[in-house]
Amino acid sequence: MPVALSSDIPPATVIPLQTPSGPMALWRSASGRLSMSADRCPHRGMRLSHGFVRGEALSCIYHGWSYSQDGHCLRIPAHPDLEPPAAIRVATATVCETGGVVWLALAQTESQPPRFSHHTPLRSLAFAAAPTAILVALNGRASADGSMQGELAGLSVILLCAPQPDGTSMVHVLAPSDATLEERLAISSATEALRRTAETALATEAAA
Amino acid sequence: MTTGAMRDEWYPVGLRSKVDAGGQQTMLMGEQIRLRETPGGAVAVETADGRALPVVVGHGHVWTSLGQPTRPLFAIPEADQPGRRLVEVGVVRVRCSPLRAVENFLDIAHFPFVHTDILGAEPHTEVERYEVEIREKEDEVWATKVRFYQPQAAKSASGGITTDYMYRVPAPTCSVLYKTCPARPGEWDVITLFVQPLTEELCDVWPWMALYDDVTPMTDLIHFQQMIFLQDRSILENQIPRRLPLDPGMEIPTRADLTSVAYRRWLKRHNYTYGAQLVAQ
Ligand code: FES
Ligand SMILES: [Fe+2]
Repeated sequence: MPVALSSDIPPATVIPLQTPSGPMALWRSASGRLSMSADRCPHRGMRLSHGFVRGEALSCIYHGWSYSQDGHCLRIPAHPDLEPPAAIRVATATVCETGGVVWLALAQTESQPPRFSHHTPLRSLAFAAAPTAILVALNGRASADGSMQGELAGLSVILLCAPQPDGTSMVHVLAPSDATLEERLAISSATEALRRTAETALATEAAA
Repeated sequence: MTTGAMRDEWYPVGLRSKVDAGGQQTMLMGEQIRLRETPGGAVAVETADGRALPVVVGHGHVWTSLGQPTRPLFAIPEADQPGRRLVEVGVVRVRCSPLRAVENFLDIAHFPFVHTDILGAEPHTEVERYEVEIREKEDEVWATKVRFYQPQAAKSASGGITTDYMYRVPAPTCSVLYKTCPARPGEWDVITLFVQPLTEELCDVWPWMALYDDVTPMTDLIHFQQMIFLQDRSILENQIPRRLPLDPGMEIPTRADLTSVAYRRWLKRHNYTYGAQLVAQ
């Protein structure tokens, strides 16, 4: 499933994400490698998304324990001479990046995330609506890969919707790669209008 | 949720200096309570349905209990020594278990990362071996011979020093810290953390201090301590699970965590479980 846009996560940063497997921390090392781990430090439960990236490791903000991309604890600052036991590790998940979108592999899967040859990421927005309501509001088509195609501001767009545990959706908008700045701005405001429609439809449905 | 054995303990519910005849409302373990000064100058505390609760005034605060405390409020003899300044820091509300708040106070390994350049700084991150015991006679948790390098240990300290500490847990939601006194070598500054459990996942923290420091303005002392606790709050509100696991469960303690391990063991032994996570998650 799509979880973020590559541009949301520059080198040496970490962000929190809600996923079907629970709260996760998505981070990019200084050299640009992307990893995802559970958002919970095995030491004393601090959220790792509040931590910091140094070099190729993610460190917890509470006591500074640091973790490699495969989740192993590399260093315990309180005991600098101790080699952390291999048993200390944080759960990880598989992520990959294509065309400016970050994908989380939900299960052991061989399949590659979809590639969109004519579209590039524009922006991400949170919708207080489920993907089905968004599809209706867009009046678009859903593909087997989970993406939605439709038109906004008269231009062809692709929406990638990541349902959140609280019933809302994170929507990543892809615009035609050759769109001009003006067209991109138009799609951007049309997306906000789409959000209002999808959220109102939901409210009307709830009231009925 | 039942309040368990913690019901019969004393809890801070306000600064004595702030209670007047007009009274004030607060909460203790999920129950609304009301504090007011009586015409005779004493303090009365009662529940919403008018039940009078036991009251004691000590260490700058008003203490009460929903149950029947079997022992007096713990003493802090050092705080009574002449020449100390008593600092009422006030209150910090934290969305966390009251037990998590105490455990964090007992922890030194976080200083370089949470109180960067104040109570600790890299690369001085090592926690040397220290001693921890549960003193049976007093029924208290004690950690002694704790040493840590600090860039600015107190408002009155200029430059880095290795600071000695002792920690004491005399009640399930209270801790007293004794710390090298920069202004008077050989004496200990007293810094306390009194925690009022509002619910199992919400607390009011009342730091209080008894210091040898005649120089620093009172507002600076208060601001220094408030800043420290606001830094701690950003941690405490983001730990999973919210309640304190009494068994390690999914957590991994190391030698630096011995005080925390003893504190959890002591809580468990007494059935002090308000704010505790009983099933590992
Ligand atoms: S909780 Fe993460 S290092 Fe201690
Ligand atoms: Fe702290």
